[in-house]
Amino acid sequence: MPSSFWTVAWAVAAKDLKIEWRTKTAFASSIVFAVLVLAVFYFARDPTAVAALDVAPGALWVTFTFAAMLGLNRAFLLERENRALDGILLAPVPRSAVFLGKLVGNLAFVAVVEFVSLPLFVLFYDLAIWRQLPTLIGVMAMATVAFVSVGTLLSSMVVRTRFAELMLPILLLPFLIPPVVGAVQLTSRVLAERPLSDLVGWLKLLASFDIIFVALCFFLFEATLEE
Amino acid sequence: MSPEARPALVARGVSRRFGHRVVVRDVSLEVGGGDTLLLVGHNGAGKTTLIRLLAGLLKPTKGSVTCSGVLGMVAHNSMLYDALTARENLSFYGSLYGRAAVQRSDELLERMGLAPHGDRRVATFSRGMVQRLAIARALLPDPNLLLLDEPLTGLDDAASGTVRDVLTDLRAQDCAVIIATHQLVELVDLASAVGFLVAGRLVAVEPIEDRDATAVMVRYRELAAGA
Amino acid sequence: MAIALVGLVGVYVRALVFTPIERTQGPAQKIFYVHAPAAWAALLAFAVVGILSLVYLWLRDRKLDTIAESSAEVGLAFSVVMLTTGPIWGKPIWGTWWSWDARLTSTLFIFLLFVGYKVLRGAIVDPEMRARYSAVIGIMALVLVPFIHMTVYLFRTLHPDPVLMKPGRPALPGVMLITLLISIGVFTLLYVGFLMQRYALAVLRDVREEEAASAIP
Repeated sequence: MPSSFWTVAWAVAAKDLKIEWRTKTAFASSIVFAVLVLAVFYFARDPTAVAALDVAPGALWVTFTFAAMLGLNRAFLLERENRALDGILLAPVPRSAVFLGKLVGNLAFVAVVEFVSLPLFVLFYDLAIWRQLPTLIGVMAMATVAFVSVGTLLSSMVVRTRFAELMLPILLLPFLIPPVVGAVQLTSRVLAERPLSDLVGWLKLLASFDIIFVALCFFLFEATLEE
Repeated sequence: MSPEARPALVARGVSRRFGHRVVVRDVSLEVGGGDTLLLVGHNGAGKTTLIRLLAGLLKPTKGSVTCSGVLGMVAHNSMLYDALTARENLSFYGSLYGRAAVQRSDELLERMGLAPHGDRRVATFSRGMVQRLAIARALLPDPNLLLLDEPLTGLDDAASGTVRDVLTDLRAQDCAVIIATHQLVELVDLASAVGFLVAGRLVAVEPIEDRDATAVMVRYRELAAGA
Repeated sequence: MAIALVGLVGVYVRALVFTPIERTQGPAQKIFYVHAPAAWAALLAFAVVGILSLVYLWLRDRKLDTIAESSAEVGLAFSVVMLTTGPIWGKPIWGTWWSWDARLTSTLFIFLLFVGYKVLRGAIVDPEMRARYSAVIGIMALVLVPFIHMTVYLFRTLHPDPVLMKPGRPALPGVMLITLLISIGVFTLLYVGFLMQRYALAVLRDVREEEAASAIP
């Protein structure tokens, strides 16, 4: 009896993470990149002129997104090595399950980069985040889902073109505007301990972006596969 | 093939163009259990494209391919993950088909003579071992049709021997086999029929009778000149 | 095409001669009659690309992709016009070349998305894959722009910009409104004219490629 949707998605994600764990290349570059970006932002700021809370959210999200972009192509690149993706497509598996697997793999990857960078961020900017941690994590999750899902879809196309490393940022950056601006706004408000009413507008924007684009990406994935 | 049995694969009027080049032109063929069809043609005649069309990895520009049952494919690229071990590769691909397929992994490793190497990464394998593992992968779902594209290229005698043995077994087990190749000498005695592919057109499909490799080549040249 | 060009000249004449000089903004305001319709044409081109992309994925007719490609290029040209005339209009009036308000930012991103679309197309050789991937981007881009607009709008309402006079359309007296509407009509015609020309060019190019490819033995 054929495998279920969830089994397939899980198998793809697990396999991706296992491979990434073995080779660790994209992962290492992302972490190093994240630390460098954070450091640059930190040292570029004049602490007497600009308050930490003004710079910190922006710095954090630039770090997250750019470090993430280094890793997004990885998910489909590893399939091109020996045409492994063909092997997957030969099986009677739903294509959206493959997309979900790739998406989850990418999300896990980016989540690790984020959770390694976050303590550094707290350290550099001397922020008290403990009480807001759950809300902050919620915001991080929503924004990350947004740009990783678009990034996963775009990378499935871009890996087959020339200049894949360059094409992904060119195509992805416009799609980062709503989630990243939203994330920065929300992060800054959460850190400033603003009441929920201040957050609602941005939360709605982020949530609707998530729902619409995740659905759209699932829908469009199959079109990027067939030959 | 017995007349009452359903053919494993039926292709009707299959054509495929890439941009402006027509690579496969109006190909029709039919194979059933126990048939071993050799597709013979020069490089560039469209063999690989045809195999991919029959496997369902490419969509025909015209015509249709209908496959009843489960399909396996062994191509020039191994469709394996170098960073994973042989067992992990098989367990991943098996999981796309269901638990039954996963459970066949060990038995297939045995059969292909790879059991002692089961826990070594594919990156360390020789070409012969990779090919044998690729066949194991293709056989995981217990296919009733196996497509092979140049299966003996780059293999030493021992590996070639194993592959030939497997193909003989498959024929005995009523599996349909299609092999695209220009290496006639090693494979002609396994075949039940030969298909001649000239410039993308399947000019003839003839039962092998008592022909040897030389006779087949003569026939090919005859047909190529006439086409 | 010819009609559109005649119309264009007509609009210019009207704009320059007949429309009264707007009180606070002076003669520079006349650029508005080029800027706003150019923006409209760019937006139209963008929407056309998005919609054709969706229909392409449904019908898989390559002509749709060729039209979309042409629309994108025409739209790119119009967005360049829009983005250059905007600041030229803006500087004497607002004192600044650019402001990050919702409308301007959205139009900037429409331009960037057009560029991205072209870049993607340039990187893919196989026509069918190119058409498919362009369609995916086309659809995603169309859905994205309203979000960008909303994002900046939300940003702005919470950070009201104290200096700027809103670059929106102020209430226009009758004569100017008519000129504007005619302008928009003319630019729409221009868009269609350019689109048809560009499409014809694209078809010719495709035919030439086909001949070249089939000439290879």
